[in-house]
Amino acid sequence: MQSNQLTIQEALQRASAHWQAGQAEPAEQLCQRVLAVWPGQPDALHILGLMAHAYGNLDLAVQHLRQAALSPRVPALYLSNLAEMLRQKGILAEAEDMARRAVAIDPSLVSAWNNLGIILQEAGKLSESVSCLERVIAVRPSPEVHNNLGNTFIRMGELEKARAQFTSALALRPAYAEALSNMAYLLNELGEPEEACASAREAIDLNPKLSDAYVNLAAAEISRHRRIEALHWLDSLLAFAPNHGGAHMARAKILMRIDRAEAGLEAAERALALAPQSAEAHATHGELLQAMGRHDESLAAFVRAAELPGISRDNALASRAALLMELGRKQEAIEGYEALLAESPRNVAAWSSRTELKTFTPGDPEIAQMEQLLAPGRTISYKDRMALHFALGKALLDAGDAPRAFAHYGEGNRLKRSTLTFDVAASGRWMDDIAAAMPAEVIARQAASGDPSAMPIFIVGMPRSGTTLLEQILASHPQVHGAGELSTLERLVSGIPGYPATAGGLSPQDIAALGQAYLTHVAQRANGRAHVVDKMPANFLHVGLIGMILPGARIIHSRRNAVDTCLSCYTKLFQGEQVFTYDLAELGAFHRHYERLMAHWRAVMPPERFIEVDYEAVIADQEGETRRLLEALGLPWDDRCLAFHETQRPVRTASLLQVRQPLYKTSAGRAARYAAHLGPLLKALEEPAA
Amino acid sequence: MNAPMPAARLDQAVVDLMGQGSFAQAEQMIRAHMSAHGATIPLAKLLARAVRGQGRIAEAAELQGRVVELMPGDLPGRFDLAESLLLMGEFKRGWREYHWRYDMPHTARIARKVQRPRWDGAPIPGKTLLIHDEQGFGDTLQFMRLVRDAKARSGARVVLEIHSALLPLARRMEGPDEIVERGQLPPAFDVHCEMMSLPMVLGLKLTDLPGPVPYLRADPARVARWRTRLAHLPRPIVALVWAGTPTHTNDANRSIPLERFVPLGAAGASFIAVQKGPRAAEALTPPAGLRMEALDSEIADFEDTAAILEVADLLISVDSSPIHLAGALGRPGWVLLPFVPDWRWLLERDDTPWYPSVRLFRQPKVGDWESVFAALARELHNLRY
Repeated sequence: MQSNQLTIQEALQRASAHWQAGQAEPAEQLCQRVLAVWPGQPDALHILGLMAHAYGNLDLAVQHLRQAALSPRVPALYLSNLAEMLRQKGILAEAEDMARRAVAIDPSLVSAWNNLGIILQEAGKLSESVSCLERVIAVRPSPEVHNNLGNTFIRMGELEKARAQFTSALALRPAYAEALSNMAYLLNELGEPEEACASAREAIDLNPKLSDAYVNLAAAEISRHRRIEALHWLDSLLAFAPNHGGAHMARAKILMRIDRAEAGLEAAERALALAPQSAEAHATHGELLQAMGRHDESLAAFVRAAELPGISRDNALASRAALLMELGRKQEAIEGYEALLAESPRNVAAWSSRTELKTFTPGDPEIAQMEQLLAPGRTISYKDRMALHFALGKALLDAGDAPRAFAHYGEGNRLKRSTLTFDVAASGRWMDDIAAAMPAEVIARQAASGDPSAMPIFIVGMPRSGTTLLEQILASHPQVHGAGELSTLERLVSGIPGYPATAGGLSPQDIAALGQAYLTHVAQRANGRAHVVDKMPANFLHVGLIGMILPGARIIHSRRNAVDTCLSCYTKLFQGEQVFTYDLAELGAFHRHYERLMAHWRAVMPPERFIEVDYEAVIADQEGETRRLLEALGLPWDDRCLAFHETQRPVRTASLLQVRQPLYKTSAGRAARYAAHLGPLLKALEEPAA
Repeated sequence: MNAPMPAARLDQAVVDLMGQGSFAQAEQMIRAHMSAHGATIPLAKLLARAVRGQGRIAEAAELQGRVVELMPGDLPGRFDLAESLLLMGEFKRGWREYHWRYDMPHTARIARKVQRPRWDGAPIPGKTLLIHDEQGFGDTLQFMRLVRDAKARSGARVVLEIHSALLPLARRMEGPDEIVERGQLPPAFDVHCEMMSLPMVLGLKLTDLPGPVPYLRADPARVARWRTRLAHLPRPIVALVWAGTPTHTNDANRSIPLERFVPLGAAGASFIAVQKGPRAAEALTPPAGLRMEALDSEIADFEDTAAILEVADLLISVDSSPIHLAGALGRPGWVLLPFVPDWRWLLERDDTPWYPSVRLFRQPKVGDWESVFAALARELHNLRY
């Protein structure tokens, strides 16, 4: 055989050329022949390593290259390739070591600097990562290195710099799927979710197996409040990449938001099993445990996440402090935020929460610190920018500087409103349709088929109208369990075709089934108590439906002065999907529609089932109002209802700080002082609802 | 069928029905299940297959398009869509989706992992472009024509890597600067392109076809030899091929029992069998009424087949490589096609933009070779030389 005459050098050259041309078999044969005569020959091992990598066998590739790296004359290139494969395997420390050896042996090897740059990025050594990658750009700019540098800038929170890098990458190669996907992530962070979706879709179109693009697309869909679409994209990814941890984590968080925490916890557990050393997986697991009420395990998960390397540490610490706050451990929460801010003074989540926990006085230096984060030239994400404006509004209002406070509130609300699609007139028409579809006789007739259980108690009304306070008072009663804000009823409603027009025509079986579906869901949450409170404020829309499907339920309407309620909404950046509170005129108009619908319910509902409580009255005479309320609910008096702020139960709502305090009377009428800043609201509240 | 059927059993039942050619029944079964239990993506994919089997290609493409829209990472789904689009002549998106052919579970291992970038269609004068063939001989024979266009577009030095069986034909073709046998080490190159990706990269449109034809030529010495060898036969001389490679996924639909050819026996032509492979021996014991000369043992390679096609007056063939060879040589050929043919034959036409000298005889309904042979016999009878 002619090839028997080859020297080792010739055989290696031929092997390499075969592999370049994708001719795997002859390449492998030649390498094996070299290794048979010279075990450990590094060039042969290197080619076999590259081949194993190309065929998706990362472990074998690393094994070959580690052996090649044992050679005393190993070229820098082999170490650089080994470093990259180790990074892909998540073995960062060894990866960094190999990449550093590579650049030490040959400082002119551009690819080694690039690989070192992305390893340092993952290891969180961000400024060194930047200098490595900038070094590469200076010598040999490529789409890949711009993309890599963009990712480092994202991790540094330097979003505009990141955008410039992705733009450069895409200018060099417009059909670059990875850069388009990263751009999608960035655009979503910058508050441009529609553009983010388009960019991610383009990335998927170019490379349908690019997993990150699906995760980024899902995140952008969430920003557009399209959770079902977001879930769909994650499922679509998991269909071909069932072990993608990021997808399971994203799925877990969405499921939590749509009140399917059990399924979400399973997804989080899956993610954790796939990556037991991932800080992000532990943090996600913690969030889901928290949602399931498993608070001790949740705290432990956050602590574990904070101990692991990676960029999730700050978020884990913030989550932990937030949970402590929710559990009423205020001092520990404050300490948690302070420690976090000492370490990461740009952590906006910590600033926001901390602002909620303290009362500012004029000249507080923290106000200036927060304003600095918003200073021109600093690039922060859109969400952080929004959160800071709301935090500064709160701080400045505390400090008595209403003009500046409302300037911040105005900007924060404007930013938030620009991400939402909402038509207040359409909401008004929807409420009119509901009222028209459910006159007294329809409710009374359908109620005959409903489930007569007295277990459910609903608290409804505007957000920030005192619903949390009422729930806390009731949940302090030994016969009552407070289940928080449940989206159960909303889900049932969305499954009724043609609602509300069809509500009167539902068959007795349908009515009974709807009532039972609700009861089945809440009974699991009753903790053995006779009554369960569902304080989803937006259920004010469905009072009539409740009257039909659950005629034995009590509905408490929480009322509060309109201007105070709206002001409280306007100064709040809600976590959930609240769409009508970010524009003063819309808020006023919405309130008018709400008042009209409630007037309808008052007229058509049996008075013993529809109980109204005024927030101002509760503040003025807590005991008297509590007695009246318990009586209306048919519950015996219990002293614990007066000392509700001592009740040890987590509170999960925008109002959670107030309920821990004894009733304070500053809320009532507080809006009057700010009339000058509330013009469009006051005008809208005075106008008849269109 | 009121009781709900578990998904796996439904799957199997539907696949079985389709395997027997009962596409309408399969469709009915899927639709009944869908209206009772809702549509799922796997069901939509099955439905697309059932609909496609009945020749409703546009409807199938629409279903496949929706699957791809919802599940962009379903690459087998994208390949299905590609085959439907190409069959409808929608080349632009069709060629794009066709490029996922090596990203399916059963093809990933055979993908050739060339370590240089794929050519993007841009001019690259001074560089070297490696074009390599990939699948069956028919594919290569059909798409070899594009090497010339790739050369013109790229301005590069073009190296063609091609199966040894087609080397001599390739050497007589315009386009490549250098030719290497598949598996042999090619010279160093800058970019590469799979032969069947050339349409995508070049943006091939229906109106670009056929390009210069013939683009292949037979070896004159062999032609002379075969002219002598076949001189004793009265004209017209008709070459026959009745079976494709048995390993082809669609072989059951394209290969035909030799008995079917008997109606052609009365047309007064001289039949020669250029069939190769396991079914070539059938020519030695042809069915009564079909006299033919068996050439298998004398055909060493495609050089012989090409020379025979130059000498013969007509090739009648199933959808296999000899029909592509005839078309590339510009020789008359009639191809027998199943009701839903391979995408390259398009729909509802009896000619093909790929080969001006080739006529298409399609099954009018699933499995109906009888009508095809009736038409063939009629046309053959009218053939004048």
